[in-house]
Amino acid sequence: MKNLLLFLLLPLLLTTGCLDDDDQLDPLREGELALAYRAEYGGQPLDIQRKVYGYPTGDSLKVLLFQYYVSDLELLPADGGESIRLEEIDLIRRRSAAGDPTVERTYLVPAGDYRGLRFGLGVKPELNAMNPSKFAANYVLNEAEFWGPTTRYVFAKIEANAMLEDDGRFDTGLSYHMGSDALYTTVTLDRRFTVGSGRTPRLTVVADVLKALSGNGETFDITAPGKQTVHGGNQDVAVGIWNRLATQFALRVE
Amino acid sequence: MGRWWTILPLLWLACTPEPTDPAAFAAILYPADNPSTAAGVALGERLFFDPILSADSTISCASCHQPGRAFSDGLPLSIGIDGLAGNRNTPGLTNVGYYHLPLFWDGRATNLEEQALHPVGTAHEMGGSWPEVIGHLSGTEDYPHWFLEAFGTSDIDSTLVGRALAQYQRTLVSRDSKYDRVLRGEASYTSAEALGHALFFDLGDDPGGDHAGLPTAECAHCHTPPHFTNQRFENNGLDEAPDLDAFPDAGRGAVSGNPFDNGKFRTPGLRNVALTAPYMHDGRFATLEEVIDHYDSGGRYAENRSANVHALGLSPGQKAALVAFLHTLTDTSFVGSRQDFRRRRAGAGSE
Ligand code: HEC
Ligand code: HEC
Repeated sequence: MKNLLLFLLLPLLLTTGCLDDDDQLDPLREGELALAYRAEYGGQPLDIQRKVYGYPTGDSLKVLLFQYYVSDLELLPADGGESIRLEEIDLIRRRSAAGDPTVERTYLVPAGDYRGLRFGLGVKPELNAMNPSKFAANYVLNEAEFWGPTTRYVFAKIEANAMLEDDGRFDTGLSYHMGSDALYTTVTLDRRFTVGSGRTPRLTVVADVLKALSGNGETFDITAPGKQTVHGGNQDVAVGIWNRLATQFALRVE
Repeated sequence: MGRWWTILPLLWLACTPEPTDPAAFAAILYPADNPSTAAGVALGERLFFDPILSADSTISCASCHQPGRAFSDGLPLSIGIDGLAGNRNTPGLTNVGYYHLPLFWDGRATNLEEQALHPVGTAHEMGGSWPEVIGHLSGTEDYPHWFLEAFGTSDIDSTLVGRALAQYQRTLVSRDSKYDRVLRGEASYTSAEALGHALFFDLGDDPGGDHAGLPTAECAHCHTPPHFTNQRFENNGLDEAPDLDAFPDAGRGAVSGNPFDNGKFRTPGLRNVALTAPYMHDGRFATLEEVIDHYDSGGRYAENRSANVHALGLSPGQKAALVAFLHTLTDTSFVGSRQDFRRRRAGAGSE
């Protein structure tokens, strides 16, 4: 009899045993939450390549690429209860002139009142230590956003071509690649909203490229040759961009 | 049966993904509707080397994708049936099965199954038509039988030909270059190769590292390991384009219809690159030295040239080191075993 019971239970164990973290919410799913990541430049929707943007040094530029990783995206319940994890890792990337400045995600979340959301900007250390070949070829950590053959994911990238002389040529490449365990930063965005009872709130996380390059009274000097390509090891040069990027996120609720 | 719980570790094991690809590669994504089988691969291999796929039975896939050249042809632009010149350089096919994003220089084929349908009907390649080719295959003594073995039907059609060719091409795996062996700790670089490796991967960027102060060649942003491609479309500065309509070959732009994609081509993988000269989508560079000179110069202006392509200021020694590193991506075991296959076939044919 025991054998039979085990026999019957086995398939059940096999299926439930293999669920991953994302499925933990199953019994609680009650409301839909639309989350949009919107990219801007100086408060306007970011247009890759198509638009010419002014820069505080008096120069102009065209943005080619803006992207960042988000780790452990979580909703914060208003009652101070345990946070609700929506995503372990995501890549928010804008690189096509045909693309929309907004990247959309939808989640099913428990109904209730929330006081905001939280995420880690970058790839959290436990994932950053993992070789991309450990993941499926089409997984978000296999997007060729690492330098070496093993670890070191690039947490965020800003690439643009700037016109430094008034000659109509956007011929100075700007390339800022940032990321290291030390730079990993938790971002908390406070804003109250309610999910459920017929409400499907739309949250928008706004990131502004200009604010990352220039803000809080500091402007990154794109005209200095030593500050046009900042990659990998020389993080010191880009740490200001990283810190401004991490602190400029805004959350809008509709 | 008292200790039924001893089965729990087994359950856990059953849930752990199998280590199918122990090398440093994420596993090939096999399409659900075309899993590889021994019979399918064998059929694909026969088709790949058989000129029966061309209008006059003179050209096979292997005429342009030659095993000894890592499946390229040594020509600037491919030459097909009746000596007709194509408009692009024939890429090598090393590790092509690992690419899960669109194929061709401009990404106009979604996957290997679909790609294989193109050459047969292309006038300057195999110059035939599918109904004709299916007729020839069906009329042979062996192919209907081989299709039956591989796909359970002797009713041959272009989809099945594509699937068989795709299965074969997914076996073109190279993982034993010197680069791989150094990674596995089985070999070590010469000092020139080590310098080239450091330039390629921007190790000079690390102010505390062994290579501090070395120029950064920026190669790995696009030629990302393990296959040395990010599979994305980039403008690496080959053509001066004061405006975006000025490119001689619009490349990706002609497929996407987006003018900002004009002049962009898919970053080619660099495994076995020393065997696949000449280089670039139009074969304009005869040697790797010329390729490195191009990158060292920063390339030509277009507003969509990648920001990672800029003048590098490399010394002659550093340029030579980059070339030396590119040579470590050659896998003689990969090329050698394929050549054996060709010899076997040639032998079989003369029997
Ligand atoms: C006449 C020479 C020629 C013949 C014959 C030929 N090819 Fe090609 N092949 C090319 C060229 C040239 C390209 C690149 C074309 C482009 O990107 O526009 C190519 C591209 C490819 C690619 C894409 C590789 C990549 O990295 O994107 C695959 C796969 C391929 N060929 C397989 C085949 C198969 C299978 C056959 C036989 C059915 C075949 N080819 C026959 C010349 C040829
Ligand atoms: C911005 C991305 C980018 C960077 C950076 C880059 N490449 Fe490339 N590479 C490409 C693209 C795209 C092509 C194909 C261009 C074409 O044919 O139009 C290419 C082609 C090549 C080829 C020819 C391969 C073939 O099969 O024809 C070689 C070799 C090469 N690159 C080596 C390098 C080296 C070495 C570096 C560093 C010095 C480098 N690349 C930097 C994108 C890049």
